[in-house]
Amino acid sequence: MRKKSVTGLATSVAFAALLSFTGSAVAEEVSGGTTYGDMSLVTQDMLTRAGGDGNNFLHTNGNYAQTRYYPARQINTSNVNKLRPAWIFQTEVVETMETTPIVVNGVMYVTTAFNHVYALDAKTGKQIWHFKHKMGPITTYCCGPNNRGVAIYGDRIFMGTLDAKLLALDTKTGKLLWEKQIANPELGYSETMAPSVVNGKVLIGTNGGEYGVRGFVKAFDWKSGDLLWTFHSTAENSVGVWATHDATGRDMLRDIEAEKAALAKLGDPYKTLGGGVWQNPAVDLDKNRIYFVAGNPSPDLDGSLRPGDNLYTNSLISVDLETGKYICHFQYIAHDVWDLDAVSPPILTKVKDNDGNTVDGVLHAGKTGHVYVHKADDCSLIRYSEAMVPQENMWVLPTKEGARMLPGANGGVEWSPMAIDASLGLTYAINLHQPMTYHVESTPYPEGKLWLGGAFKVIPGEQQWGNVTAVDYHTGKIRWKVKTEQPMIGGILATAGGLVFTGEGNGQFKAYDSETGSELWRFQAGAGVNAPPSSYTVDGKQYIVVAAGGNTQLNYKRGNNIIAFTLAD
Amino acid sequence: MLENPRRFVIAMSLATTAGFASLIPAGADEVPQDKIELCTSCHGEAGLPPQPEVPIIWGQHFYYLYVQLRDYKAGRRANEVMQGIVEDLSKADMKALATHFSEKQWPETSYRSEATAAAKGETAASAGQCPQCHLGGYEGNSRVPRLNGQTVPYLTRTMLEFKTKVRRNSPAKSSLMVSYSDEDIENMAKYLAGL
Repeated sequence: MRKKSVTGLATSVAFAALLSFTGSAVAEEVSGGTTYGDMSLVTQDMLTRAGGDGNNFLHTNGNYAQTRYYPARQINTSNVNKLRPAWIFQTEVVETMETTPIVVNGVMYVTTAFNHVYALDAKTGKQIWHFKHKMGPITTYCCGPNNRGVAIYGDRIFMGTLDAKLLALDTKTGKLLWEKQIANPELGYSETMAPSVVNGKVLIGTNGGEYGVRGFVKAFDWKSGDLLWTFHSTAENSVGVWATHDATGRDMLRDIEAEKAALAKLGDPYKTLGGGVWQNPAVDLDKNRIYFVAGNPSPDLDGSLRPGDNLYTNSLISVDLETGKYICHFQYIAHDVWDLDAVSPPILTKVKDNDGNTVDGVLHAGKTGHVYVHKADDCSLIRYSEAMVPQENMWVLPTKEGARMLPGANGGVEWSPMAIDASLGLTYAINLHQPMTYHVESTPYPEGKLWLGGAFKVIPGEQQWGNVTAVDYHTGKIRWKVKTEQPMIGGILATAGGLVFTGEGNGQFKAYDSETGSELWRFQAGAGVNAPPSSYTVDGKQYIVVAAGGNTQLNYKRGNNIIAFTLAD
Repeated sequence: MLENPRRFVIAMSLATTAGFASLIPAGADEVPQDKIELCTSCHGEAGLPPQPEVPIIWGQHFYYLYVQLRDYKAGRRANEVMQGIVEDLSKADMKALATHFSEKQWPETSYRSEATAAAKGETAASAGQCPQCHLGGYEGNSRVPRLNGQTVPYLTRTMLEFKTKVRRNSPAKSSLMVSYSDEDIENMAKYLAGL
């Protein structure tokens, strides 16, 4: 009942807000247009209830549990073939797009490469305001000048920048309210993730696993920008238990004696050990905990300089929301030398344990190509899924000449968030198959320059492809799988209409039946659709929206479009 | 609204340079004219070097230029001519010179690559995932250099110097170049120069 009334209120507000600025692009006209007070303000209650909000899209991954499951069903399996573009907005920047559109009461916020932000009328696509970050001269980032979007709370939106700053902007005008330097970009720190906001804290991690950073998650006060706490994702004692096998029980061929000798000589490597956290945390408000994944150790391919398990790289980690204190972790690959790390954001949902009991669970899709299912309470692994992509020669060690192993270093599953449909017990992942060779060459820490400890090379002539895969997370079995022409990167959205939406590097944006995988609709966007889709409802009409800007990492055709779709009348 | 990405990146480069002005130490914005002339004697008075083995630096990214000067001075990048020149440069000189040249317009070259070599070069560059850092169109950004439109002899030489470790100031690049044949490197140089 309560959920319904919140949704109804949001509809009225969205409608009123739209009336207030129809026909005008002036930012100030967004304000004050509602019967229910200033509903451009986003409250904690709205953020908490986002999973049941069929009007707005308030979080990068839909809600705090990060299910990317949208509860509206106006667009569904029976009518999705009538989906048409409602509007297309062209940004000023023709470069890689990974933004998730955030929609609040009929206003949409999107970002572009190089940290531009746009506020748009979500019904018409008309620009309300445009903010360009004044980028500093020093940026250090791998894999594209990406930005994955904003977080919203109160009267503010928050964005991380390539020059490693956190910005707060006024939602109505786009005016910069404050900015904080998060870390030093000269040493390889940069921001591409959307922040998350919860209980007045703005949470953000860092990129830099290819540059020898020390990874972290930080919490900032939403109003002042003051730093509240820092959790370092490389532990001061990063050695661990000298694990010889990965989470699936495969031998990783570590030379433990050589590592122990290196540890005695070099000491603990935690200060330049990487472990970037560059995707959003899932939040359990009842238990006051967050769950996130930490990426690869630095240097990527050369383990000789970083003896030990390299805790907490390649791990699922849980910390206390109030203090940032460690609660539990689970490491997938200790002492990784393949960059097959943990990137795709975790999802909280109820899962069956191995005794058939329903427990609080965490899902994560690894670059290995497995979906891992955890017990939320202690981070322990319940099961892992069948491999979604071919695996060969795991875990052959990298060599000077290059050793072939599958998956290639982009995964499996890259940063792309999954979506779930809890009513079906299915999680949806998008996959890459990119055969590569892994080359190792030891070089000392280069103080902020690219530090791979070797090279990854795509094997020319070997076929590449992608998949959209549905995995039953209660059993680990693959329910359905659809092959795509190219490796997939971007993200996926599930809806109560029985649909999943995802895009491809060749410009195709498609809807599938979430139960069977049947393709029900497609649209050619003209540039790579490599961003996670969102959905929202304005004036009684449901929309699906996605960015089509291509991708730097996989070099897919660039563009600059935000495309919103709705059903033809 | 569609905008040429190359124009955009150039605009970004100018914008970032302007943004840097406030960070330059007092006095560093006074570009030493004699030092500029020393640079242009090899790198070209209008941006095109008279000797094609010498790189184009007009319109190159500020931070890349600054880091190269710093690395020449620290001995991380070996070059007999440049080492003699950077010896007398202060940090402020280096920043000022990098700013000066990054604000210039990248010159047009008349080079057109032969199709077969360019196709082979593109395949080789894709295998190395080069656009991940050098970005679409090989425009570069900040500490990553622009490669498109650079001279073939310079690109070839510098990639070979990474391979042979004569150039040591980007270890990841050395590891990558070791995996290429000299022919691959030549084709990549032709492909990039012709973009």
